[in-house]
Amino acid sequence: MKMEPICKPQSSVWEPAIQQKAFRQLMNAFAFPGSLETMLPEGQGRDNTVLRLILATLTDGEVTVADPHHLIDDQDWLKLETIKEAPEKARFIVARGDTAPKFSPALGSLECPEMGATVILGVTHIGRGESLVMRGPGIQSVKEVACSGLNPAWLSKRGGWNGAFPLGVDMLLFDAARIIAIPRTTRITIKEGQSWDM
Amino acid sequence: MNPYYELPQDEAGYSFGFLDEYAKREVRRNILKAICIPGYQTPYASREMPMGRGFGTGGLQLTLSLIGRGDTLKVIDQGSDDSVNAVNLRHFIELTCPGVDTTERTQDATLIQSRHRIPEMRMTSAQTLVLQVPYPDPLVVVEPSEARRKIMHGEGDYSRLLTKLYEDIVHFDEITISHRYPTRINGHYVLDPSPIPRFDVPKLHQSPALILFGAGREKKIYAVPPYTNAEPLVFEDVPFRTEDFSDAQGRRRSCHRCGATDSFLDEFTGNDGERIYQCSDSDYCHQRLSTQHSAANEVSR
Repeated sequence: MKMEPICKPQSSVWEPAIQQKAFRQLMNAFAFPGSLETMLPEGQGRDNTVLRLILATLTDGEVTVADPHHLIDDQDWLKLETIKEAPEKARFIVARGDTAPKFSPALGSLECPEMGATVILGVTHIGRGESLVMRGPGIQSVKEVACSGLNPAWLSKRGGWNGAFPLGVDMLLFDAARIIAIPRTTRITIKEGQSWDM
Repeated sequence: MNPYYELPQDEAGYSFGFLDEYAKREVRRNILKAICIPGYQTPYASREMPMGRGFGTGGLQLTLSLIGRGDTLKVIDQGSDDSVNAVNLRHFIELTCPGVDTTERTQDATLIQSRHRIPEMRMTSAQTLVLQVPYPDPLVVVEPSEARRKIMHGEGDYSRLLTKLYEDIVHFDEITISHRYPTRINGHYVLDPSPIPRFDVPKLHQSPALILFGAGREKKIYAVPPYTNAEPLVFEDVPFRTEDFSDAQGRRRSCHRCGATDSFLDEFTGNDGERIYQCSDSDYCHQRLSTQHSAANEVSR
């Protein structure tokens, strides 16, 4: 399912109507893992607008956010009104996809698996690069999506974090304009056959 | 207090979708977690709505958090667009969400909020179904403590629920649950699929559309993602069966209006005491009738 980019450069990510449309795209991304959602017109994503839009849509003072690689501007921290937290405890973690993780995110508990973190990873390009082959809920049979700028350590670590369902982390990958989501239920292999199954 | 003070019109009005943005954001976060953990009941802070809990406030909060200008909404109650609950909810959404279209045609809707039925027409991946749920937890009949139920769900321990189903078979030779049939999602969590009849349970399995469940009173949101396995709890030697609409001769009863033999039927008693069967999904029935009338007109020309 394709949707038009929702956020024109002049419109503000802080507007409720923009956030509603962004949420529908995020929901589609999570409901159909690996499906590419275009949040901004090609070539117009500057200054982390996609990340700002994701955080403005999902975070506020009720949740915690970790930013170990300092991807969020100081001005955005003020507007988000969210709470900074260490990556080990945060509900949302923003990180660079090309850098291997040096932390263990919250995985939730058996009673409250929803407390497992959502990891938001910035990658170089979605739609180009190494192919990830996905299976699982939300995918009719198999979904293949290319992605560059994602350190393989993320996928291997993910396998360990998601090893004991329902505990685990859910991932959201973004580039300058697009997003794809990888819920904890999605099983991933790379094209050559190496497996990073959950 | 100044008795002559009047709230300015722009401040007196409600925000789009009635709920404030913080409430919507919380519901939205929980929708995403519900999708990521299929069948898990995600707790959320269900807000007070201008209607009693139990009248669809859970489904309504989901719909109001999802809907935006350009959406087309259909609201049904027990399959009908014209019953009191559906009419009131639709009217409320029309009042608080300017720019949103409403429809009675299943195929035209982007969002469908429903109570007790899944539409007969197969939904598409471009649509989202929101179901109103009164009691979200299927384990409540065997375990009163929510803390223990959460552990049982996490461990996938449904042995006591299966024992309850087995006791039904011992007493009555069949599982007597007519609606809210416990259904296992993606091989782990068992959910209460809201009070949909057994007839609709197979529609959850590998549905192209995302299905969201909202329980306002019980403050829970859960989901069946698209293309996900949904298997009703059964025993190997006692297969799951849906409602039987066969007559004494074993023939499938048909709708007395449109003649459909593939839809869920409501039973009425006519003025002369005769039993009448009619499609529960009014839109499905109307569209079939409309097609039949068009075909008849073509022939008569």
